[in-house]
Amino acid sequence: MLTDISVGRYFHGNSVLHRLDPRVKVILFIAYMICVFMVTNPVSMLLIFATTLFIALLSRIKVSAILRSVRPVLFLMIFIFVLNVLTIHEGETLWSWWYITITQGGLTKAVLMAFRLFLLIMSTNLLLTLTTTPLKLSDALESMGKPLAYLHVPVHEMAMMMSIALRFIPTLVEETDKIMKAQVSRGADYDTGSFLKRAKGYVTVLVPLFVSAFKRAEELAVAMDARCYRGGVGKTKLHPLKMHKSDVIWLLVLSFLAIAPVVLDLSMKIK
Amino acid sequence: MDESKLPEYDLTADAKQVSFRYTTINDDEVTAVDSVSLSINKGEYVAILGRNGSGKSSLAKLFNVLELPSSGKMKVFSLDTDDDECFWTIRSHSGMVFQNPDNQIVGTTVEEDVAFGPENLGVPLPMLKDRVEEALRYVGLEEKAQKQPTELSGGQKQKLAIAGVLAMSPEMLILDESTSMLDPKARDEFLQLIERLRKEKNMTVIHITHDMHEAYLADRIFVLSHGKILLEGSPAHVFSQTETIRNLGLELPKWAELLRKVALLTGETNSLTEDDFLSKDTAEAAIKRILMTAQLPNTEDEECASTVEERITLRVTELGHHYDHSDKAAIENVNFEARRGEVVAVIGHSGSGKTTLISHLNGIIRPQTGRIEVWDSKSKEYISTESNAQVKAIRKHVGLLFQYPEHQLFEETVEKDISYGPLKMGYSEEETKKLVKEAMALVGLDSNIATRSPFELSGGQKRRVAFAGVLAMDPEILVLDEPAAGLDPKGQREIFGYIESLKQKGKTIILVSHNMDEAAKIADRIVVLCKGKQRFFGTPKELFGGNQVLSDMRLEKPIILRTLDDLRESFPTLDTCVFRIGKAANALIAAAKEVRSKC
Repeated sequence: MLTDISVGRYFHGNSVLHRLDPRVKVILFIAYMICVFMVTNPVSMLLIFATTLFIALLSRIKVSAILRSVRPVLFLMIFIFVLNVLTIHEGETLWSWWYITITQGGLTKAVLMAFRLFLLIMSTNLLLTLTTTPLKLSDALESMGKPLAYLHVPVHEMAMMMSIALRFIPTLVEETDKIMKAQVSRGADYDTGSFLKRAKGYVTVLVPLFVSAFKRAEELAVAMDARCYRGGVGKTKLHPLKMHKSDVIWLLVLSFLAIAPVVLDLSMKIK
Repeated sequence: MDESKLPEYDLTADAKQVSFRYTTINDDEVTAVDSVSLSINKGEYVAILGRNGSGKSSLAKLFNVLELPSSGKMKVFSLDTDDDECFWTIRSHSGMVFQNPDNQIVGTTVEEDVAFGPENLGVPLPMLKDRVEEALRYVGLEEKAQKQPTELSGGQKQKLAIAGVLAMSPEMLILDESTSMLDPKARDEFLQLIERLRKEKNMTVIHITHDMHEAYLADRIFVLSHGKILLEGSPAHVFSQTETIRNLGLELPKWAELLRKVALLTGETNSLTEDDFLSKDTAEAAIKRILMTAQLPNTEDEECASTVEERITLRVTELGHHYDHSDKAAIENVNFEARRGEVVAVIGHSGSGKTTLISHLNGIIRPQTGRIEVWDSKSKEYISTESNAQVKAIRKHVGLLFQYPEHQLFEETVEKDISYGPLKMGYSEEETKKLVKEAMALVGLDSNIATRSPFELSGGQKRRVAFAGVLAMDPEILVLDEPAAGLDPKGQREIFGYIESLKQKGKTIILVSHNMDEAAKIADRIVVLCKGKQRFFGTPKELFGGNQVLSDMRLEKPIILRTLDDLRESFPTLDTCVFRIGKAANALIAAAKEVRSKC
């Protein structure tokens, strides 16, 4: 049934990584991303890979689950690999046939690019989707976006929208299921026929779904009004984000592990 | 902003000539509340009755300044609603619980939702946490604090809404049809919670409801029609004006209805006083008084011939189903059948497997064990939902209407929407036109709304359009899940009227209902489900005439039967197993004659 869908592939757990302040995770994620792109030599790359494995270990999530989370981008990795191999012509030619020429430089760069992508996806999953609930993530973004509020960016409103969306996804999924059953009872058929016919058929689900979503939005707005909602001004929080000592320590340790390979990389270039 | 203290006050609300007007998208001006004057005392329990569209919700929103009066003066907690300074003070001390539990939950977890109100008021942390915990404990949801709202039942969601309000420490609670989407058990629990709030916290309660038995719990009732207060006073005072109540499209509690009928039949309507309508007991006493003193007329029982024919159109045999994600069977070993022209009611508490059962009847869910057979009048044989090829034919035979079916409307016009089913079922354009026309007439929809958009109709009309959408497929079997839920009393009566006329036309009807009085009245046979198991299948007389199942399952007896049970003490020969008011009144008169002839 449709109602079994879970959002964001969050894995429930209580590891160091799960408990880490979400803001720390976002900062680490950004730092990590920059580092992955700055590094060019294989030794540094392997060091970053080692860090990734360390983070994976910290998350206490099953290897199979982590690998499964990378699977959706496998195709993209292969695509980027092939594209790089075929288009970059540097150094010694290894193999040539017809229009296709594979060079050593091309192969190295291709492996590097594909590996970068792999590391990037691993870090996104480990630091964010697998170990951080969407709600905490939205809290972190709100808290970190505070300076933007001075530039009249509606940070609180955006975070509120995000958390309401998260709250209503299961409700709307349930509703979709109900509407589909009702239309099937009236002879709708969503499983057979051409793609176009099926796409057209979904009008019978989407229209009622939109109508009900708007109605819900309207009623929710009144309900929020009745509970004295008036934006982020003066609002307190039941679970405010708090930086603990351990969060700071982990931030330092992990960012050191991410930056060290870059420093190594740079020093090698200067030589 | 901090929560401001309220001043000393006696009147929770004080309205003087208050009107509220708004303009619709089509530029029509609507006067939702029309020069209403009323005052509500501190700690009072007030019920507001009226048909849908009578202005009840608009009036309610004026109390907690969700809307401001267009004219007139409104004071809440002795503060002026016009005064911007008082605005948040009033609102922060009033709580509102709406009809649809889902659309008022903001938080992604239960505790986050309860915290939403006090967070908005800027309550600082240690206190905030205490308040959330206390509110959850008060409504009995403390163990669900970390759960997602979607994991709660309807009744629990409404309790959560109350907790969210309680955390703001309000002095006035507005219930806007808060019980209309709950099943009887959840409703009782909700009402008990309200009663506790009144006793322990001296809360003023303003309760908008369509349930007349609920209205009787109030100290005072206001009856609204077209934005005006037509009746006002104690429940006994309001409901003693039986004809006005009925003309306003409302109804009487069942026992009051019986009293009215007995008085009518004996020509004693003038002898009824307000005191007779104080409670069920006084009404029973009044019935006794009339029956023992008045001249008793000759009664003719309006015996209507049974419409039930021989042909079994639907047969369910040893049906069982087990969802993947659950370790318990959703339903198991369900056996029943239905004939042409028969109404079979399916009753049971929420979660008893009713929805799973009816989803099997037209093949939306296929049986894992057992089978569903439907009589095909063309081929003169039974077809079953097991084979893929036959499921389509079965959907033509079995029309299924889920709860709140108005949510499935999608077309630009009413006519197009109703045509969707028959066209999909393979009827020609011409046949469809005819079927649509017939279906609309059957549910009392005027032909001139055919070209209008279904989305601009009233709630009751939308419901009827959805009903017509299933009827237009001309099914021989109709499966109706709570077809009258959420409608006002008149709308409910109409829906049950259509069901009765469909039965007369020889349709088979499977009716899922929480309303015991209606189910008992209309059903030829009843299936009782309990936690997925079938506990009973038989006639209403067998079920309500002292069957153990009723008390085992804590199912409510219809109110009319409970009234008759009480009266039997005085009239020993009384037939206590009649479900229609008219028949009950006749039975009473017959039993009274017997008693009086012995004296």
